[in-house]
Amino acid sequence: MKSTFFTLALLGAVLCLGANRTLALDGAVVIANSSVAADSLGADAIKDIYTGKTKYWDGGQVVVIAMLPDKTDAALQQACGMDTSAFKTFWQRLAFSGRGQEPKKASSTDELVKLVADTKGAIAIVPADAALTGVKKLEIK
Amino acid sequence: MKKSMFNSTTILSITASILAAGGVQAYELKLGTNLPPVDLHGFVSQGFLYSSDYNYLADDSKNGSFKFSEAGVNAAFNPFARTHIAAQGFLFDTGNVGQYHPFLDYASIDYTVNDQFGLRAGRIRRPAGIYNAIQDIDLARTFVLLPQGMYDARWRDWSAGLDGGDIFGNISLKKAGSVSYEFYGGLVNMADNGGVARYAENGLPPSPVGQFDGIGATPVVGGQLWYNTPLDGLRLGASLAFMDGFSYDVTVIPPYGPGTIHSEGNVILQQYSAEYSIKNWTFQAEYSTYDFTGNRFAPAYGNANIGATGDNPATWYVAASYRFNKYFESGVYYTQFRDYSTDSANPDGHQNDLALCLRVDPKDWWTFKIEGHYIEGTGLLRDSSHNPVRDGNGWFMLAVKTTFSF
Repeated sequence: MKSTFFTLALLGAVLCLGANRTLALDGAVVIANSSVAADSLGADAIKDIYTGKTKYWDGGQVVVIAMLPDKTDAALQQACGMDTSAFKTFWQRLAFSGRGQEPKKASSTDELVKLVADTKGAIAIVPADAALTGVKKLEIK
Repeated sequence: MKKSMFNSTTILSITASILAAGGVQAYELKLGTNLPPVDLHGFVSQGFLYSSDYNYLADDSKNGSFKFSEAGVNAAFNPFARTHIAAQGFLFDTGNVGQYHPFLDYASIDYTVNDQFGLRAGRIRRPAGIYNAIQDIDLARTFVLLPQGMYDARWRDWSAGLDGGDIFGNISLKKAGSVSYEFYGGLVNMADNGGVARYAENGLPPSPVGQFDGIGATPVVGGQLWYNTPLDGLRLGASLAFMDGFSYDVTVIPPYGPGTIHSEGNVILQQYSAEYSIKNWTFQAEYSTYDFTGNRFAPAYGNANIGATGDNPATWYVAASYRFNKYFESGVYYTQFRDYSTDSANPDGHQNDLALCLRVDPKDWWTFKIEGHYIEGTGLLRDSSHNPVRDGNGWFMLAVKTTFSF
């Protein structure tokens, strides 16, 4: 009886952990290439993209993740639960087993914005003060 | 030894050339205005093995061996909506297995209908546990050597991939997390000079009394499930595979023969995994076992059944790793391998391994690792000719590896 109660309590606690997931990015926003139809994304949808579960936008265009290593670490952690090192290893595992393509890297905020502007299907987390030229800012639902 | 040094030098030269050309970033090959670019990536790993008492994973690790290398180049692109094509050329050398012969590691095309369902066909990596599909990608893990009872560096031709196809997807359970699945079927092509062939050969009386003839391609079906729990960073996995008609042939002469002996049977593989990442920590635990049951036949005597054969080992490990910052990571694991077809008192019936590793990433494209092992037992040496005398005393191993990638 005790063990049944404990199991149910544990199950309930685990389920509660997944409830009402919201996302607030510290000092960052999410942008996308203008070819992306979506104007907003939910926290789970962003996480699914950054963890490789969603690889295509509605309509079939491939999702291309672009990133700025070291500059948006906190926001990346909030979006997908991984820091930059873990994120890099995660995508190397997918790429080197033929199951995905590694995120594209930029070396500056301006370069990242330009990369997203020039790459169909691209999405990126950029510093909130970035000049967003030629890209669309996605609202986080 | 000369051959070993030459090939190691060759690999390092390729690396140096890549670096000298400044090609340390991923390369994008543009095909035309209306076609998406092809992403090119690659890596070169060179390792060093030294062991105190036995020659392990290399014929001469007691003297220090550089015969521990891998290199690969892969290409991937999305030519059409929801379609992904990827291929990788690969070569490796682990002791007397691999020997730098280049081969097509994987080449597949997949079509993703939606997040819940997709299809893939071609030569694919076989998913099993945390590491099987990337078991020889040094840069994608903390450790130099994965627990060898589960991810034997010499057995990749048996375990790493298959020619066939799979279906895959991720099913949301809403607040309860999600389940990722992959179910596959195809043919495993093993090399006559591969790791499993060497293992079978190791059980024979020395040549010319016993001679290994060949190993057959084996049909396989199986699947991998991952339950991604609602607790961020925690996932639980289960994998099952069934190989039907695993076979190999040996020839023996007096006093064991004469004649060819054909061994054939079925193999069932199971693997259970748990991985939890929280902040800078990653914890992992896995258990795997396989059960090979078969019979030996003598074609020269009317294909008479001359007795049963089999193998039933199991391996488990627990591991923890911690990333201090973008440059340094450290990890420790303890693993036990147990061969249930051998008496537990026999040192060849088990192997326990405590490993401690330091990983350094000086650059985004350069990784260096150093790892110490304290090992008890000799159950995974699988090389009687280079280790004629074995006992149950503890022994040490040092593994060093550096990887360049782009």
